Amino acid sequence: MSCLHSISRSPSHRLVDTCASLLRPGDAIIFIEDGCFHCLQVSLIKQVDIKLYYLEADMQARGLGASNINGAKSEIVDYDRFVDLCCEHDKLVNWF
Amino acid sequence: MAEPTSITFISRCAPYGQHKPKLCMDMALAAAVFEQHVSYIFLEDGVFQLLRGQDAGAIHSKTLGNALETLELYGIDKVYVDRESLSRRNLKREDLIIEVEILDRIAIANLLAEADSVFNL
Repeated sequence: MSCLHSISRSPSHRLVDTCASLLRPGDAIIFIEDGCFHCLQVSLIKQVDIKLYYLEADMQARGLGASNINGAKSEIVDYDRFVDLCCEHDKLVNWF
Repeated sequence: MAEPTSITFISRCAPYGQHKPKLCMDMALAAAVFEQHVSYIFLEDGVFQLLRGQDAGAIHSKTLGNALETLELYGIDKVYVDRESLSRRNLKREDLIIEVEILDRIAIANLLAEADSVFNL
């Protein structure tokens, strides 16, 4: 039973710390809206088997791109892929 | 009627500063009325909702602590509190207004995994 977690607020809200402590193998996180600023953080998530996604439109709007992403295993996705991700996971858990 | 689903609510905010704790509670009560399987988790600042001796009359609001007692009346008996959130805030079981089960993060992660859907407020 995998969860896709969405984080929509900036790192100063510290949502990632709480979210990360509740992750299970196979879960993934997508950063949307102000959550995209997390890409600048180094070693964001310690667990190795958690995939990280950033929503392209929200990244673009904020002047962020692939070159700004400091962590590995990250991928920038468009809206269609976001929808696919929602369907590939059993449920969505929103952090805002 | 359709098969009941299991819905897990996570309440993460302190009471009175914003409306999220009240909204989360209202959603859970509504879900319980429609006979869904509800679990309720207090996480991070959400544990402040459970403090004894609240008197929100002083700020012309309804006391949320009283509303928590209605959870049981609505058949919501799966009420959990995160151990780490309590200890980081120097709170103990005796400080809490209602009977709750205290869980660690791994157990909470498992609850989320088992639920059909999760509301995180």
